[in-house]
Amino acid sequence: MKRRSFLKSVTGSALATCLPVQVSASATSLRYLRPPGALEESEFLSRCIRCGQCGEACPNRCIKYFGTENGLTSLDTPYIIPREKACILCMKCGEVCPTGAIKEIKHKAADILNKVDMGQARVDENICLSYQGKTCGVCYRACPLQDVAIRVGMLEQPHVSPACVGCGLCERSCIQIPQAIRIIPRKSVS
Amino acid sequence: MQHEQINKPFFLWAHLNKLRWLSLIFVFSVLILLPFLHLYQTYVAAHAYDLLTPDQKGIYDTMEWLTSPLTDNPETDLNQLKGTTWSGTIFGLKLSDPLALVGQLAAGLSIYWPLVLAALIPAVATMIFGRFFCGWICPASLIYELNETLAGWLRRVGVPLGDRKFDRRTKYLVLGSGVIISVFLGSVAFAAVYPPAIVGREIYYAIAQGGFGAGAVFFLLTILFDLMVARRGFCRYLCPGGALYSLLGRYRLFRIKRIVETCNDCRKCNVVCEFNLDPMHDDFGQECNNCTACIAVCPTDALTFTVSIKDSPFLGPGHLGHEYRHVSHEAEHETAAAS
Repeated sequence: MKRRSFLKSVTGSALATCLPVQVSASATSLRYLRPPGALEESEFLSRCIRCGQCGEACPNRCIKYFGTENGLTSLDTPYIIPREKACILCMKCGEVCPTGAIKEIKHKAADILNKVDMGQARVDENICLSYQGKTCGVCYRACPLQDVAIRVGMLEQPHVSPACVGCGLCERSCIQIPQAIRIIPRKSVS
Repeated sequence: MQHEQINKPFFLWAHLNKLRWLSLIFVFSVLILLPFLHLYQTYVAAHAYDLLTPDQKGIYDTMEWLTSPLTDNPETDLNQLKGTTWSGTIFGLKLSDPLALVGQLAAGLSIYWPLVLAALIPAVATMIFGRFFCGWICPASLIYELNETLAGWLRRVGVPLGDRKFDRRTKYLVLGSGVIISVFLGSVAFAAVYPPAIVGREIYYAIAQGGFGAGAVFFLLTILFDLMVARRGFCRYLCPGGALYSLLGRYRLFRIKRIVETCNDCRKCNVVCEFNLDPMHDDFGQECNNCTACIAVCPTDALTFTVSIKDSPFLGPGHLGHEYRHVSHEAEHETAAAS
């Protein structure tokens, strides 16, 4: 792996000077999630054969595919923008994935809590209505893992717990513009 | 008389080319149908028919009409058919293109056994039938062959088109460098440049993801390359999948063979061959995709299938051909003169 990362950096810099499109994703500021159960980013990219079956299996049609906007290495790989359409944690993409780039995870709360890590929700208390004295609680009600991933306190103020898997349904449903709760993708993605 | 009967090819072989076109069209239609079925599934899952737009209702109604005789539970039952020729699921059986496996092995430098199993059936089939995927299944082949037909019409009305010849071995270089690039990038590079993968994906993007992606541009360029530079250029000289299949199919069991007794050296087989091979001189080689176009076109039924792991060496000029008769006449004269 060490040798490869060296070769990668050498050829990467060589290619970067030749190609108008960037090869690696590191420079982009896109905030996106990988489908639930996706492997760690570099491993995901080496596993994914870009067959598009995860998107075809997704009943919520939240999985989209990159063009060149996130670098050539993630061309045609699946991603989710939670504010546009969030994951409903049905786990069908992992079932259909032929390469294990998206792990197969059973559609059970315990398995999902243990194995899914798309990111973590974070509340911006300066924008959140409940923190401004107007009882809201929409994010709490949207959460598929209510009272485990997210709890509410006084005035329905949301408190995200570390158990949050980052499906993004809270961000999708937030009635504030811009959204007061958003998913911070797990480190390896962003 | 009995001798001639033995040498007559089985009647079906001459019709396989039509069957092949049906197969290509069928695969392409399924690739168009599947994204619509996917959309239909999501509409069913949403339980909101009344909220659909008229277009969506049209899709819903058509797909319901198509699938209702087969299933009462489209939301889950239609999951039995997913994917493309690059990688797909058919009634629980996962199948993948062997090139996907090669690309993944190179990019990950690790083995994921379920993918190996998924690529096994296509790989074994290729070892038996040769590069049959290219002629019988590949959705890009359908477009390339139609493109070639279009090129024929354009040539007839005098449009100058390219007909350059390159080295057929270039594609093995593409395959090799694709593997190396995949290792360096840690990403399956073939997926971006392999036409059947692109076609399947782009059809899905266009129907279910709101528009064509970047691959469509590349595919369009390969069509233009075929049209303007080299006939069937991409398949003949550049396709990494074709290269892999040719290698796998080198010792294929089923291959086409010329019957020298009934061949009249008319060259029609050579002209019709999509891959620019040389059936008339018994030179099929590893790149023959058993498309059977040469069998279909042969006016004297001098081409047939045989079970063998090697082509026969050049059998000499066809016995009904001018050259053979010329030679044999000379030989007769010589023997007459000697006696």
